[in-house]
Amino acid sequence: MIFVPMWDGSLGCASFLLGDEAQGQAMVVDPLGNLGADSYILGAAELGLEITAIVETHVHADHHSAARELSQKTGVPVSLSHRAPVAYDFNPLRQNDTIDLGHVKAVVWETPGHTPDSISLVVTDATRASEPWLILSGDSLFVGDVGRPDLADPTPEMVKAAALDQFHSIRDKILTLPDTCELYPAHYGASACGGLFLSSKPVSTIGYERRWNRFVQFTEPDEFVEQVLMLLKPPPESAAAIRAENLGVAAPV
Amino acid sequence: MASMTAQDFMNQVQQGSVILLDVNPPHAYSKAHPAGSYNFPFHRRQWGQEVKRALNGQNPPIGIFAENSVIAQSAKDSLEEAGITVPFVFDQGVKGWEQAGLPVARVHDLTVDELLQNLDNYIVVDVRESYELRSGIIPGAISIPMGQLQARMSELDKAKPHAIVCASGSRSASVAAWLSQQGFNVANVVGGMSLWIGARHPVQRT
Repeated sequence: MIFVPMWDGSLGCASFLLGDEAQGQAMVVDPLGNLGADSYILGAAELGLEITAIVETHVHADHHSAARELSQKTGVPVSLSHRAPVAYDFNPLRQNDTIDLGHVKAVVWETPGHTPDSISLVVTDATRASEPWLILSGDSLFVGDVGRPDLADPTPEMVKAAALDQFHSIRDKILTLPDTCELYPAHYGASACGGLFLSSKPVSTIGYERRWNRFVQFTEPDEFVEQVLMLLKPPPESAAAIRAENLGVAAPV
Repeated sequence: MASMTAQDFMNQVQQGSVILLDVNPPHAYSKAHPAGSYNFPFHRRQWGQEVKRALNGQNPPIGIFAENSVIAQSAKDSLEEAGITVPFVFDQGVKGWEQAGLPVARVHDLTVDELLQNLDNYIVVDVRESYELRSGIIPGAISIPMGQLQARMSELDKAKPHAIVCASGSRSASVAAWLSQQGFNVANVVGGMSLWIGARHPVQRT
């Protein structure tokens, strides 16, 4: 497997270029406007890879996505959750859909919570093992924290429902992965999408978070929701406008 | 030189006065490429200088074939920086090439499992360097390092199918495409020896 995280430390955003060296096929996940679409195209060329899939783990509200520009330049459609309310044509993904790059495969897990359209990608490399080697968890489970539930719809009932979704996505899905599975969330450090406990370290393992992530320790949904809501930071100022742009609609007035 | 159509440029390729470089990764090139093109995968570091060195003192006009405009433009800039004339750029990929009615060549891909099942039908050519052969070779394979191939063409047989293998399948993709242009019946072994050994298929120690 070729696996290249591409970070933007200024916003605490992570994007990924991963592929199968034998088949020469690659997938770009959450391409960042700050890095620019060209950096993914040139990065893939550098590694002898052809971009065959572009995936967004959800519609982002904290940074400009380069997914559509990358799609226009490569002719590869953008893949998003079937629940993504975007205004442009995309390839809809559902639970257990597989993005096949050859020996490297990414299985889609629907992990709503941060937004209803949040997905995670569980990645295996058949030349090593059939066991998942890493998960791109988007804005569900973070290193030390969890994705905030209030950026897609800030009305109090919806935020509460989203936090409850997050509890189940993390507990019933993500934590079923083996301890050795690596965790690569979409954010770290200064990101507006996390809270007080978001680590500046961008990578962890399921085992480490199972043991040490404070939100994972809550076994009762109510307790989890209460803690998440209590620790919310104020939303980033431009969230609504950025989200509108990433949705492909006009910015709200 | 003014920009020209793909057809005009290909006429000049056939006359041997210009060269068409497919700058896509080896796997993509092996899957499909303009007939008569050579593969020189683009990368960012001093790529144009490498092309210049490979031209060995000659300086023919070079055409660029790429899958998208970003790579095409970067490759053009890099060649021009190295003092090479680029009168033709095609950035619509194989799809566009076929739509323009121009000929495409393809190299057959072979998985390591397919090769094992049909091992008797192929002359296996291992194009790795000699120092890479310690891991073993496919039983019956002949070793011809990539750089010696042109000098040792007589060891190949145009009447028989060849399976070209290297460590990971990249070099072999380029070699297979080139041999195919020379009129040989060749297939590229996808993933090369890393997958052959990884699948625990038999190897012969050299």
